[in-house]
Amino acid sequence: MSTRWYPLYQTGGPQLRVFLPNFWMKLVRPTHDQPQNVVQFSCSMEMTTPDIKNYLEKIYNVKTIDIRTRIALGKTKKQPGKGYIIKDDDIKYAYVTLHSSQKFDFPDLFPERKEDEADKRTMDEIKDGFKKYLETTKNRPNLPGWFSI
Amino acid sequence: MFYNKLLSKIFNACSGNSGLKSASLRNTSAKYISTTARRDDLNEFFDIKENWGVPEVKSGRGWTKDDLRIKSNEDLHKLWYILLKERNMLLTMEEEAKEQVKLFPSPERLDKVRDSMKNLEDVVRERNKAYHLLETGKDGERPVEKYINPFGMNATKRLYEYPLPKHMNKKWLENHVPYKENNKDIQQFQLKLGENTFMYKKRKRTRDFNHVIGLLNRFPNMDMEALKGQYPDVDIEKAKRSRKYKGWD
Repeated sequence: MSTRWYPLYQTGGPQLRVFLPNFWMKLVRPTHDQPQNVVQFSCSMEMTTPDIKNYLEKIYNVKTIDIRTRIALGKTKKQPGKGYIIKDDDIKYAYVTLHSSQKFDFPDLFPERKEDEADKRTMDEIKDGFKKYLETTKNRPNLPGWFSI
Repeated sequence: MFYNKLLSKIFNACSGNSGLKSASLRNTSAKYISTTARRDDLNEFFDIKENWGVPEVKSGRGWTKDDLRIKSNEDLHKLWYILLKERNMLLTMEEEAKEQVKLFPSPERLDKVRDSMKNLEDVVRERNKAYHLLETGKDGERPVEKYINPFGMNATKRLYEYPLPKHMNKKWLENHVPYKENNKDIQQFQLKLGENTFMYKKRKRTRDFNHVIGLLNRFPNMDMEALKGQYPDVDIEKAKRSRKYKGWD
Protein backbone atom coordinates (compact mmCIF):
# COMPACT_ATOMS: atom_id res chain seq x y z
CA MET A 1 0.00 0.00 0.00
CA SER A 2 2.62 2.48 -1.02
CA THR A 3 4.38 3.69 -4.13
CA ARG A 4 7.72 2.32 -2.98
CA TRP A 5 9.46 -0.76 -4.34
CA TYR A 6 8.93 -3.90 -2.33
CA PRO A 7 11.76 -4.25 0.23
CA LEU A 8 14.60 -6.61 -0.64
CA TYR A 9 15.00 -9.98 0.98
CA GLN A 10 17.73 -9.86 3.64
CA THR A 11 19.73 -12.88 4.75
CA GLY A 12 18.77 -14.48 8.03
CA GLY A 13 16.35 -13.65 10.79
CA PRO A 14 12.75 -12.63 10.49
CA GLN A 15 12.31 -10.06 7.74
CA LEU A 16 11.88 -6.90 9.80
CA ARG A 17 9.99 -4.31 7.80
CA VAL A 18 8.54 -0.97 8.82
CA PHE A 19 5.43 -0.14 6.92
CA LEU A 20 5.10 3.55 6.13
CA PRO A 21 2.44 4.11 3.46
CA ASN A 22 2.94 7.28 1.46
CA PHE A 23 -0.43 7.47 -0.27
CA TRP A 24 -2.45 10.66 0.05
CA MET A 25 -6.19 11.24 -0.05
CA LYS A 26 -8.12 14.47 -0.37
CA LEU A 27 -11.74 14.86 0.60
CA VAL A 28 -13.18 16.98 -2.20
CA ARG A 29 -16.45 18.71 -2.86
CA PRO A 30 -18.48 16.30 -5.05
CA THR A 31 -18.44 17.20 -8.75
CA HIS A 32 -22.05 16.03 -9.15
CA ASP A 33 -24.81 15.79 -6.56
CA GLN A 34 -24.43 12.63 -4.52
CA PRO A 35 -26.62 10.81 -1.98
CA GLN A 36 -25.95 11.99 1.56
CA ASN A 37 -23.93 8.92 2.50
CA VAL A 38 -21.55 9.12 -0.49
CA VAL A 39 -18.25 10.95 -0.09
CA GLN A 40 -15.92 11.86 -2.93
CA PHE A 41 -12.18 11.64 -2.53
CA SER A 42 -9.30 12.28 -4.87
CA CYS A 43 -6.38 9.98 -4.15
CA SER A 44 -2.99 8.75 -5.30
CA MET A 45 -3.10 7.26 -8.76
CA GLU A 46 -1.65 3.95 -7.53
CA MET A 47 -4.44 3.33 -5.01
CA THR A 48 -6.87 0.49 -5.64
CA THR A 49 -10.27 -0.01 -4.05
CA PRO A 50 -8.96 -2.38 -1.33
CA ASP A 51 -6.22 0.15 -0.62
CA ILE A 52 -8.78 2.89 -0.13
CA LYS A 53 -10.92 0.66 2.05
CA ASN A 54 -7.98 -0.25 4.28
CA TYR A 55 -6.69 3.32 4.34
CA LEU A 56 -10.00 4.71 5.59
CA GLU A 57 -10.72 1.89 8.00
CA LYS A 58 -7.30 1.49 9.57
CA ILE A 59 -6.08 5.09 9.63
CA TYR A 60 -9.30 7.10 9.87
CA ASN A 61 -11.55 4.52 11.51
CA VAL A 62 -14.26 5.11 8.90
CA LYS A 63 -16.28 2.07 7.93
CA THR A 64 -17.08 1.82 4.24
CA ILE A 65 -19.79 -0.12 2.45
CA ASP A 66 -18.78 0.35 -1.17
CA ILE A 67 -16.01 2.05 -3.09
CA ARG A 68 -15.88 2.95 -6.76
CA THR A 69 -13.07 4.72 -8.51
CA ARG A 70 -12.66 6.55 -11.78
CA ILE A 71 -9.81 8.37 -13.44
CA ALA A 72 -10.69 11.84 -14.67
CA LEU A 73 -8.76 12.91 -17.74
CA GLY A 74 -6.75 16.09 -17.26
CA LYS A 75 -7.71 19.01 -19.42
CA THR A 76 -5.75 19.61 -22.61
CA LYS A 77 -5.21 23.24 -23.48
CA LYS A 78 -2.92 25.62 -25.27
CA GLN A 79 -0.19 27.27 -23.27
CA PRO A 80 -1.28 30.91 -23.28
CA GLY A 81 1.11 33.06 -25.31
CA LYS A 82 3.14 30.07 -26.51
CA GLY A 83 0.86 27.97 -28.69
CA TYR A 84 1.98 24.48 -27.74
CA ILE A 85 -0.41 22.08 -26.09
CA ILE A 86 -0.17 21.21 -22.40
CA LYS A 87 -2.14 18.70 -20.38
CA ASP A 88 -3.11 18.75 -16.72
CA ASP A 89 -2.45 15.63 -14.65
CA ASP A 90 -5.10 12.95 -14.49
CA ILE A 91 -6.92 12.64 -11.17
CA LYS A 92 -8.19 9.48 -9.55
CA TYR A 93 -11.52 9.98 -7.81
CA ALA A 94 -12.99 7.55 -5.30
CA TYR A 95 -16.67 7.48 -4.43
CA VAL A 96 -17.00 6.01 -0.96
CA THR A 97 -20.40 4.86 0.26
CA LEU A 98 -20.89 5.00 4.02
CA HIS A 99 -23.60 3.21 5.94
CA SER A 100 -27.06 4.56 5.05
CA SER A 101 -27.56 5.86 8.60
CA GLN A 102 -24.53 8.16 8.22
CA LYS A 103 -24.80 11.54 6.57
CA PHE A 104 -22.02 13.71 5.32
CA ASP A 105 -22.34 17.28 4.12
CA PHE A 106 -19.30 19.04 2.81
CA PRO A 107 -18.82 21.95 5.23
CA ASP A 108 -18.24 25.57 4.26
CA LEU A 109 -14.51 25.74 4.99
CA PHE A 110 -14.02 29.37 3.97
CA PRO A 111 -16.92 31.31 5.49
CA GLU A 112 -17.18 35.05 4.84
CA ARG A 113 -15.57 36.90 7.70
CA LYS A 114 -16.57 40.32 8.93
CA GLU A 115 -13.99 42.95 8.15
CA ASP A 116 -11.52 43.35 10.95
CA GLU A 117 -11.23 46.71 12.70
CA ALA A 118 -7.61 47.07 11.61
CA ASP A 119 -8.46 46.33 7.97
CA LYS A 120 -11.24 48.89 8.03
CA ARG A 121 -9.00 51.56 9.56
CA THR A 122 -6.30 51.10 6.92
CA MET A 123 -8.92 51.18 4.17
CA ASP A 124 -10.32 54.46 5.53
CA GLU A 125 -6.82 55.93 5.70
CA ILE A 126 -6.19 55.00 2.09
CA LYS A 127 -9.49 56.56 1.02
CA ASP A 128 -8.77 59.79 2.92
CA GLY A 129 -5.30 59.97 1.42
CA PHE A 130 -6.67 59.62 -2.10
CA LYS A 131 -9.28 62.34 -1.48
CA LYS A 132 -6.54 64.67 -0.25
CA TYR A 133 -4.45 63.87 -3.30
CA LEU A 134 -7.36 64.67 -5.63
CA GLU A 135 -7.93 68.00 -3.88
CA THR A 136 -4.31 69.10 -4.04
CA THR A 137 -3.93 68.22 -7.72
CA LYS A 138 -7.28 69.63 -8.78
CA ASN A 139 -5.90 72.91 -10.19
CA ARG A 140 -2.87 71.53 -12.02
CA PRO A 141 -3.95 69.02 -14.66
CA ASN A 142 -1.47 67.08 -16.81
CA LEU A 143 1.21 67.24 -14.14
CA PRO A 144 2.57 64.23 -12.27
CA GLY A 145 1.48 63.68 -8.67
CA TRP A 146 4.91 64.25 -7.20
CA PHE A 147 5.14 67.71 -8.81
CA SER A 148 4.34 69.88 -5.84
CA ILE A 149 5.62 72.90 -3.92
CA MET B 1 1.06 24.93 18.04
CA PHE B 2 1.51 22.48 15.20
CA TYR B 3 4.53 21.01 16.92
CA ASN B 4 2.82 20.90 20.29
CA LYS B 5 -0.25 19.33 18.80
CA LEU B 6 1.81 16.59 17.20
CA LEU B 7 3.77 16.01 20.40
CA SER B 8 0.62 15.75 22.43
CA LYS B 9 -0.89 13.37 19.91
CA ILE B 10 2.18 11.16 20.13
CA PHE B 11 2.08 11.16 23.90
CA ASN B 12 -1.59 10.37 23.86
CA ALA B 13 -0.89 7.52 21.50
CA CYS B 14 1.97 6.22 23.64
CA SER B 15 0.19 6.47 26.95
CA GLY B 16 -1.17 2.93 26.64
CA ASN B 17 2.21 1.18 26.74
CA SER B 18 4.66 3.97 27.38
CA GLY B 19 8.35 3.17 27.47
CA LEU B 20 10.77 4.67 29.95
CA LYS B 21 11.76 7.54 27.69
CA SER B 22 8.29 8.73 26.89
CA ALA B 23 7.24 8.50 30.54
CA SER B 24 10.14 10.66 31.69
CA LEU B 25 9.59 13.10 28.85
CA ARG B 26 5.96 13.41 29.73
CA ASN B 27 6.79 14.25 33.32
CA THR B 28 9.24 16.97 32.37
CA SER B 29 7.30 18.70 29.63
CA ALA B 30 3.68 18.00 30.46
CA LYS B 31 3.08 21.64 31.35
CA TYR B 32 3.73 22.96 27.86
CA ILE B 33 1.58 20.52 25.93
CA SER B 34 -1.89 21.49 24.80
CA THR B 35 -3.95 18.45 23.97
CA THR B 36 -6.46 18.22 21.17
CA ALA B 37 -9.26 15.69 21.18
CA ARG B 38 -8.89 12.76 18.80
CA ARG B 39 -11.52 12.85 16.07
CA ASP B 40 -12.10 9.48 14.54
CA ASP B 41 -14.09 10.35 11.47
CA LEU B 42 -14.13 12.19 8.19
CA ASN B 43 -13.80 15.54 9.99
CA GLU B 44 -10.13 14.69 10.37
CA PHE B 45 -9.78 15.63 6.71
CA PHE B 46 -10.58 19.23 7.67
CA ASP B 47 -8.75 21.69 9.84
CA ILE B 48 -10.17 22.49 13.28
CA LYS B 49 -13.17 24.77 13.15
CA GLU B 50 -11.36 27.80 14.63
CA ASN B 51 -9.08 27.88 11.57
CA TRP B 52 -11.83 28.05 8.96
CA GLY B 53 -11.64 31.27 7.00
CA VAL B 54 -8.74 32.62 9.06
CA PRO B 55 -6.10 34.57 7.09
CA GLU B 56 -3.20 33.00 8.96
CA VAL B 57 -2.67 29.81 10.98
CA LYS B 58 0.27 29.90 13.36
CA SER B 59 2.44 26.79 13.47
CA GLY B 60 5.76 25.80 15.01
CA ARG B 61 8.69 24.17 13.30
CA GLY B 62 8.62 20.70 11.78
CA TRP B 63 10.49 17.64 13.02
CA THR B 64 14.24 17.70 12.48
CA LYS B 65 16.40 14.60 12.22
CA ASP B 66 17.83 15.22 15.67
CA ASP B 67 14.31 15.33 17.12
CA LEU B 68 13.48 12.02 15.50
CA ARG B 69 16.70 10.20 16.33
CA ILE B 70 15.88 10.17 20.04
CA LYS B 71 12.45 8.63 19.46
CA SER B 72 11.72 4.91 19.64
CA ASN B 73 10.72 2.96 16.55
CA GLU B 74 7.19 2.73 17.84
CA ASP B 75 6.92 6.48 18.28
CA LEU B 76 8.25 7.05 14.77
CA HIS B 77 5.71 4.66 13.37
CA LYS B 78 2.90 6.51 15.12
CA LEU B 79 4.26 9.89 14.14
CA TRP B 80 4.28 8.84 10.48
CA TYR B 81 0.52 8.31 10.55
CA ILE B 82 -0.01 11.62 12.34
CA LEU B 83 2.01 13.39 9.67
CA LEU B 84 0.15 11.50 6.96
CA LYS B 85 -3.18 12.69 8.37
CA GLU B 86 -1.88 16.24 8.73
CA ARG B 87 -0.78 16.21 5.09
CA ASN B 88 -4.13 14.87 3.93
CA MET B 89 -5.86 17.60 5.93
CA LEU B 90 -3.69 20.33 4.43
CA LEU B 91 -4.13 18.95 0.90
CA THR B 92 -7.89 18.89 1.39
CA MET B 93 -7.92 22.48 2.64
CA GLU B 94 -5.69 23.59 -0.21
CA GLU B 95 -7.89 21.92 -2.81
CA GLU B 96 -11.03 23.49 -1.35
CA ALA B 97 -9.33 26.91 -1.26
CA LYS B 98 -8.55 26.50 -4.95
CA GLU B 99 -12.14 25.50 -5.63
CA GLN B 100 -13.54 28.51 -3.75
CA VAL B 101 -10.89 30.88 -5.17
CA LYS B 102 -9.76 31.79 -1.67
CA LEU B 103 -6.31 32.14 -0.20
CA PHE B 104 -5.02 28.98 1.49
CA PRO B 105 -3.74 30.20 4.87
CA SER B 106 -0.11 29.45 5.79
CA PRO B 107 0.88 27.12 2.95
CA GLU B 108 4.31 26.67 4.56
CA ARG B 109 2.67 24.03 6.78
CA LEU B 110 2.66 21.67 3.81
CA ASP B 111 6.41 22.11 3.36
CA LYS B 112 6.99 21.51 7.06
CA VAL B 113 5.03 18.26 6.95
CA ARG B 114 6.81 17.17 3.79
CA ASP B 115 10.24 17.84 5.31
CA SER B 116 9.27 16.10 8.54
CA MET B 117 8.16 13.02 6.61
CA LYS B 118 11.37 13.06 4.62
CA ASN B 119 13.42 13.31 7.82
CA LEU B 120 11.46 10.49 9.42
CA GLU B 121 12.07 8.23 6.46
CA ASP B 122 15.77 9.06 6.53
CA VAL B 123 16.02 8.24 10.22
CA VAL B 124 14.26 4.90 9.72
CA ARG B 125 16.65 4.18 6.88
CA GLU B 126 19.65 5.05 9.04
CA ARG B 127 18.47 2.61 11.69
CA ASN B 128 17.80 -0.04 9.08
CA LYS B 129 21.31 0.32 7.69
CA ALA B 130 22.89 0.15 11.14
CA TYR B 131 20.86 -2.94 12.02
CA HIS B 132 21.76 -4.79 8.83
CA LEU B 133 25.44 -3.86 9.13
CA LEU B 134 25.48 -5.36 12.61
CA GLU B 135 23.54 -8.47 11.69
CA THR B 136 24.77 -9.33 8.21
CA GLY B 137 27.73 -7.05 7.49
CA LYS B 138 25.90 -5.44 4.57
CA ASP B 139 23.84 -2.30 4.74
CA GLY B 140 20.74 -3.93 3.24
CA GLU B 141 20.30 -1.19 0.63
CA ARG B 142 19.22 -1.94 -2.90
CA PRO B 143 22.43 -2.77 -4.82
CA VAL B 144 23.44 -0.61 -7.76
CA GLU B 145 25.12 -2.14 -10.81
CA LYS B 146 27.32 -0.37 -13.33
CA TYR B 147 26.83 -1.46 -16.91
CA ILE B 148 27.30 -0.30 -20.50
CA ASN B 149 23.97 0.73 -21.99
CA PRO B 150 22.93 -0.03 -25.60
CA PHE B 151 24.46 3.30 -26.72
CA GLY B 152 27.83 2.29 -25.30
CA MET B 153 27.73 4.80 -22.44
CA ASN B 154 28.48 4.01 -18.81
CA ALA B 155 25.30 3.82 -16.77
CA THR B 156 24.02 2.56 -13.42
CA LYS B 157 20.83 0.78 -12.50
CA ARG B 158 19.17 -0.22 -9.24
CA LEU B 159 18.76 -3.96 -9.09
CA TYR B 160 15.41 -5.61 -8.69
CA GLU B 161 14.45 -9.09 -7.56
CA TYR B 162 13.13 -11.29 -10.37
CA PRO B 163 11.34 -14.57 -9.82
CA LEU B 164 13.20 -16.12 -12.78
CA PRO B 165 16.89 -16.07 -13.73
CA LYS B 166 17.79 -13.99 -16.81
CA HIS B 167 18.21 -16.85 -19.27
CA MET B 168 14.76 -18.24 -18.42
CA ASN B 169 12.95 -14.91 -18.38
CA LYS B 170 11.50 -14.71 -21.90
CA LYS B 171 9.97 -11.27 -21.45
CA TRP B 172 13.24 -9.81 -20.20
CA LEU B 173 15.14 -11.42 -23.07
CA GLU B 174 12.67 -9.94 -25.57
CA ASN B 175 12.94 -6.43 -24.17
CA HIS B 176 16.62 -6.47 -23.31
CA VAL B 177 18.85 -4.65 -25.81
CA PRO B 178 22.51 -5.56 -25.29
CA TYR B 179 25.42 -3.31 -26.22
CA LYS B 180 26.84 -4.32 -29.61
CA GLU B 181 30.34 -3.05 -30.21
CA ASN B 182 30.39 -3.66 -33.97
CA ASN B 183 27.09 -1.97 -34.75
CA LYS B 184 27.75 0.80 -37.27
CA ASP B 185 25.12 3.17 -35.88
CA ILE B 186 26.49 2.81 -32.37
CA GLN B 187 30.02 3.43 -33.64
CA GLN B 188 28.87 6.58 -35.42
CA PHE B 189 27.06 7.69 -32.28
CA GLN B 190 30.16 7.05 -30.16
CA LEU B 191 32.29 9.07 -32.58
CA LYS B 192 29.93 12.02 -32.43
CA LEU B 193 29.55 11.76 -28.69
CA GLY B 194 33.34 11.76 -28.31
CA GLU B 195 33.60 14.80 -30.56
CA ASN B 196 30.91 16.57 -28.61
CA THR B 197 32.55 15.97 -25.24
CA PHE B 198 35.97 16.89 -26.65
CA MET B 199 34.68 20.18 -28.05
CA TYR B 200 32.85 20.93 -24.81
CA LYS B 201 36.02 20.43 -22.78
CA LYS B 202 38.12 22.42 -25.25
CA ARG B 203 35.68 25.33 -25.25
CA LYS B 204 35.53 25.26 -21.46
CA ARG B 205 39.32 25.41 -21.27
CA THR B 206 39.46 28.45 -23.58
CA ARG B 207 36.58 30.13 -21.81
CA ASP B 208 38.18 29.66 -18.38
CA PHE B 209 41.56 30.86 -19.67
CA ASN B 210 40.07 34.06 -21.10
CA HIS B 211 37.97 34.58 -18.00
CA VAL B 212 41.06 34.34 -15.79
CA ILE B 213 42.80 36.98 -17.94
CA GLY B 214 39.76 39.22 -17.56
CA LEU B 215 39.82 38.73 -13.81
CA LEU B 216 43.53 39.53 -13.66
CA ASN B 217 42.95 42.74 -15.63
CA ARG B 218 40.06 43.86 -13.47
CA PHE B 219 41.46 42.83 -10.08
CA PRO B 220 45.27 43.02 -10.23
CA ASN B 221 45.67 42.59 -6.44
CA MET B 222 43.57 39.46 -6.34
CA ASP B 223 44.33 36.50 -4.05
CA MET B 224 46.23 34.24 -6.46
CA GLU B 225 45.79 31.16 -4.27
CA ALA B 226 41.99 31.52 -4.44
CA LEU B 227 42.15 32.00 -8.20
CA LYS B 228 44.27 28.88 -8.55
CA GLY B 229 41.83 26.99 -6.36
CA GLN B 230 38.83 28.02 -8.44
CA TYR B 231 40.47 27.45 -11.84
CA PRO B 232 42.98 24.64 -11.27
CA ASP B 233 43.28 23.81 -14.98
CA VAL B 234 44.34 27.31 -15.99
CA ASP B 235 48.08 28.06 -16.18
CA ILE B 236 48.19 31.55 -14.63
CA GLU B 237 51.78 32.23 -15.74
CA LYS B 238 50.73 31.47 -19.30
CA ALA B 239 47.68 33.72 -18.89
CA LYS B 240 49.99 36.58 -17.85
CA ARG B 241 52.10 36.10 -20.98
CA SER B 242 49.02 36.54 -23.17
CA ARG B 243 48.67 39.69 -25.26
CA LYS B 244 45.22 40.21 -23.73
CA TYR B 245 46.79 40.69 -20.31
CA LYS B 246 47.20 44.42 -19.60
CA GLY B 247 49.23 44.29 -16.38
CA TRP B 248 53.02 44.43 -16.00
CA ASP B 249 54.87 41.79 -14.05
